[in-house]
Amino acid sequence: MNSTETASDDAELLERIRGGATDDFAELVRRHQSRVFAILHRYERDAHKVEDLAQETFLKAWRALGQFDGRAPFEHWLSRVAARVALDHLRKEKRRQNEIGLPELGDDALDWLRNDDEKSELDARSAAELLELAMRELSPADRLVITMQELEGRSVKEIAVAMGASGVAVRVRAMRARSKLRQALEKIAKEKL
Amino acid sequence: MNDRKLKQLFASARKEAASAPPADFATDVLRAIRREPPAAAPEIIPVFDQLNLWFPRLALAASTVIVLCFALDYGLTAAGVPSLSDGMSQLSAQWLLTPTGL
Repeated sequence: MNSTETASDDAELLERIRGGATDDFAELVRRHQSRVFAILHRYERDAHKVEDLAQETFLKAWRALGQFDGRAPFEHWLSRVAARVALDHLRKEKRRQNEIGLPELGDDALDWLRNDDEKSELDARSAAELLELAMRELSPADRLVITMQELEGRSVKEIAVAMGASGVAVRVRAMRARSKLRQALEKIAKEKL
Repeated sequence: MNDRKLKQLFASARKEAASAPPADFATDVLRAIRREPPAAAPEIIPVFDQLNLWFPRLALAASTVIVLCFALDYGLTAAGVPSLSDGMSQLSAQWLLTPTGL
C-alpha cells in the first residue's frame, strides 16, 4: 500500500472515529505504532519507557483529534505529536540524569572513538549507545534537532513545524548542537581513558 | 572528532532497529482511552436563568445611576444652574412652539 492510499484510508477511518466509532482508533494505532515506536526509540533506549511514551503519544493524538485538519497526512501529524512527547520526556530526563550520573559505555565504542582510522566501523547498538551518552550533554531542544535531522532524516521545514520555530532558528540550532556534540564526544574519549 | 567520523557515527546509529510494539498495544491504548474522563459538554443556560444570574448586578448598577442622577440634579440646582425640566420648558417656549418652529 503506498502513502497516498494510506492517507485516504486514514481519512475514512478518522471520519468514522469522529462519528463515534471509538474502537476504530485501535486500527489507526495498529497502522502507525511501528513508526511511533521507531521515533521514540531515538530518544529513549528503555523498551518499557518507549511503550509508555508511545501510549502517551496516541492518547495525546486522541485528545487532539479535533485539531487535525487533514491538510497533511495523519502520519506526519502523529509524528509531530510523538516529537513533542519525546521533547517533554527529554526535559524530564535531563533533570533526572543530573541526579543519577552517566551510564557505562562498551569498549568497542570507546576504541572506535579513540581510533583515527576512518575505515573502522562501529556496530549499530554501540553507535546508538555512544550517541545517547554524548547527547546527554545537549539541551533537550538541541537533541531533538540533531535526532530529527541526522537519525530520522527530516527536513529543516519538518523540524521547524514540529518545534514551532523558524527554519533559520532550526539551522542555527542544528549547527551549534553539532558542535556541542562533537565536543561531548571528544570529552568522552578523554575522560574514559 | 572530524565531520566524517561524526557522519559515520550517525549512519551506524541509524541502523539500530527499534523495539517492536507488543501484540496487544492497540488494545491497551483503547483501554486507556476508555478510562479517560468524558469531555464536559458546554453548559447551556436559559435566558431567564442568565437574567436571574445577572439581576443583582444589574439592580445595583441601575440604583447607582439613579442615585448619581439625583445627586447631580440636586447639586446643579443648588449651584443655580437651571434644571433639566426648566431648560426643556424654556426651549419649547422659545423655539419649538413658536410660529417659526415646528
